[in-house]
Amino acid sequence: MDTNEILNQVQEIFRDQLDDETIVLTGETTADEVEDWDSLNHIMLVVAIEKHFNVKFTSNEILSWKNVGEMMKCIQEK
Amino acid sequence: MIFNINDIFEESFVVSNNTHQDFMQLSQDKNPLHTNEEFAFSKGFKGIVMHGNILNAFLSHFIGECLPIKNVIIHSQDIQFKNPVYLDDKLSFTASVSGVFESVNAVEFKYYFKNSQTKIVAKGKIQIGII
Repeated sequence: MDTNEILNQVQEIFRDQLDDETIVLTGETTADEVEDWDSLNHIMLVVAIEKHFNVKFTSNEILSWKNVGEMMKCIQEK
Repeated sequence: MIFNINDIFEESFVVSNNTHQDFMQLSQDKNPLHTNEEFAFSKGFKGIVMHGNILNAFLSHFIGECLPIKNVIIHSQDIQFKNPVYLDDKLSFTASVSGVFESVNAVEFKYYFKNSQTKIVAKGKIQIGII
């Protein structure tokens, strides 16, 4: 799956989980830039992404992400 | 992680008159379907129908009191009501672990409630976090 396709699917997950159809993600997007991307929603997002892409992350991987691009890279490498 | 995929937990619950009265007091939902037998008969039910959300209270009990650990919090839950529950129905409850998300310490359960005729009266999913 190419990066754009992953980004589109991750964006849809964010829109669904955060109930905000206006969310537009880029590789550089950080949690501070997305309203409601708080610690509880972060858990819900990770669970939804793990289910959607059928992958499992480690807590160290999640802690290392600085932006959406690093999350996507991690999905791509699984 | 203390939970593994397909771990099963079973409980039983009775929708007693006390439970029904307490829930009505709490919710202030005194709709005739829950309080007036003639009305319930006229709508095709066998008696007054218990509030479906009483089952959500049972789910709360399951998560808060029946799991092997107490450091849990509910992230989300959904419920589908499949058949009516009547006063004094004894419900058997089964929950199985359907997802383990170690990266964020979250666990998902699928569950169902069955009545004494083994009909599913409600089912759904709950996601919890281990705090």
